[in-house]
Amino acid sequence: MTADLVSCAVGLCRELRSRGMTVTTAHAMDAVRALRCGSIVSRQRAYLALRCVLVGRPEEMEIFDEVFAAFFDHPRETEHRGPVRVIRRPQRTESPPALSNWGSEEEGASSEREEVPAASDRAAMAKKDFSTFGADELEQIQRLARRIARRLAARPSRRWKSGRRGPRVDLRRTIRRSLSNAGEPLELRFRRRKPRKTRIVAICDVSGSMDLYSRFLLQFLYALQGTVARVESFVFSTELRRVTELLRQPDYAQALRGLSAEVHDWSGGTRIGECLAAFNRDWLHRVDGRTVVVILSDGWDTGDPALLGAEMETLRHRSRRLIWLNPLLGSPDYEPLTQGMQAALPHVSVFAPAHNLTALRALERHLLA
Amino acid sequence: MDRIAQLLDQLDREAYVADPAIATSLHLAIELRKPLLVEGHAGVGKTEIAKVLARLLGTEMIRLQCYEGLDASTALYEWNYARQLLHIRLQERDGHSGPDAEARIFSEPFLLKRPLLQAIAHEGRAPVLLVDEIDRSDEEFEAFLLEVLSDFQVTVPEIGTIRARERPHVILTSNRSRELSDALRRRCLYLFIDYPSFEKELSIVRRKVPGASEDLATQIVGLVQRLRKAKLSKVPGISETLDWASALVVLHASQLTPELTAETLGCVVKDEADLRKLRVEIEAGRLPAGAP
Repeated sequence: MTADLVSCAVGLCRELRSRGMTVTTAHAMDAVRALRCGSIVSRQRAYLALRCVLVGRPEEMEIFDEVFAAFFDHPRETEHRGPVRVIRRPQRTESPPALSNWGSEEEGASSEREEVPAASDRAAMAKKDFSTFGADELEQIQRLARRIARRLAARPSRRWKSGRRGPRVDLRRTIRRSLSNAGEPLELRFRRRKPRKTRIVAICDVSGSMDLYSRFLLQFLYALQGTVARVESFVFSTELRRVTELLRQPDYAQALRGLSAEVHDWSGGTRIGECLAAFNRDWLHRVDGRTVVVILSDGWDTGDPALLGAEMETLRHRSRRLIWLNPLLGSPDYEPLTQGMQAALPHVSVFAPAHNLTALRALERHLLA
Repeated sequence: MDRIAQLLDQLDREAYVADPAIATSLHLAIELRKPLLVEGHAGVGKTEIAKVLARLLGTEMIRLQCYEGLDASTALYEWNYARQLLHIRLQERDGHSGPDAEARIFSEPFLLKRPLLQAIAHEGRAPVLLVDEIDRSDEEFEAFLLEVLSDFQVTVPEIGTIRARERPHVILTSNRSRELSDALRRRCLYLFIDYPSFEKELSIVRRKVPGASEDLATQIVGLVQRLRKAKLSKVPGISETLDWASALVVLHASQLTPELTAETLGCVVKDEADLRKLRVEIEAGRLPAGAP
């Protein structure tokens, strides 16, 4: 009976692991302890107890339910069944063309990158439209993103931090120091404002019409996320997908490969309204009065403009600023006349171009405001 | 009767309407002595769990409220500088000083115990330590907390190591405003509390607002349940339902009329845009259309 219990728990854990859940040996041991500690008198009890021990986040509930049902109803079948829906741990599949190219281009371009652009090149590059950028120019974007991120992290907050210098005397620490001088405050300690951490939520359009731009904007997000901790990234085309974890790779090419394996509707159509609705439903709790929400999209929407307007309003109310970056805005004869754009505009705090480096630089100002 | 059924019964006596999932989680948290991470929307009774648990176990609850910028010294301990300074001055006047005086001012009477140290140094029965809204703290603090939770001992350089005599019962709550680290999740048991079903919410209202008539309670809960499905930017939690029910009882209401609803809707819906939307619905006669 006991051996049976142990092998059962271990088998269940193995199955959960194969479906991408983080289940360690410690978990398996806890599972056995939980089943043994009495009161587990029915299947329902066992289910609740094991779920409490083995599940770590709400997204895993569904997988757990499936595996548990399969495991305890048909123990043998599960042994041979392959993973149905795996979370995290991306499986490499046939990658959509656009993205897989980016990855390999990045790697191949490394030999050319040795040519450092001269000052005049750089000036020209600042105005150059992203749609004509080469893979080796990505580095510029990265540098810019880092700088913006550092500036963002350096804003003062209401809270204080102690140190050797600063505008105000830190009485507590001064007295603490004075103890070694028989209570004479010879050395003053000061305090200054702690840097405030701005949160950023970026929602990037990767539909077909954005093809030429989204790779650079993603690169920008990647670098931004690498520098400030509190960035949440999402991509959408016909459906919304959180990519924060995928972008958290040490290497951009690797991050891109992960993205292309996980995101299936690259370069598809656009349904901004539905995707923002999905965001507001599932992720609005990540947005608060300190959060800057950045939407990167050209506003070509095939969905319902009224829905888009309503979702934008919700987002604006919850966030500190709602910024819409539109690469098309860089072209002199563009006017935001699409129905979607018209519906969204009244709720946008900043509507700015994002087609070249100068435009991204201007973004710094908007994020800090 | 087995332990979980017993626990459900005890919870009910403490006026906490639980379900088997909550009871099982609490049971395991007590048995395995592992921290329990409770996630769920605002106002579904996450914090309440810790309070009820403390009452059940007949022990004290120690609460650490997290916020951005919370650091180790605020959570663990601090020296009482003002008192130390006073002591030094008094000593000087009496002509004492030297290493003796220093040892004295770095002893326990001068130590300000913050919640984590309070929980560890607690005498008697293991207390319940509530780490509320852990998602609001910084990642660095989370790492620090992880360390404390794994060995329940703290070293104060001037005094020495303080070890917990008995592991406290730890409840952590999170509103999911940021993703918690895998390390923390791994170390905890997990409980997700969703908005309650109609029946569960009704029994909560019955328990907590006994003055409400059966009709009124049914109508209130029915409407709140509908509101949760409507697309509001701020979804009402159970505490809002209870506030509303209490307000209506104070107004001696026995039925939920459209006028009454319009006047008291502010108890449940706390967003101007939402309120505007709902007022239109009420005027059009679509709200409140009674129980589902």
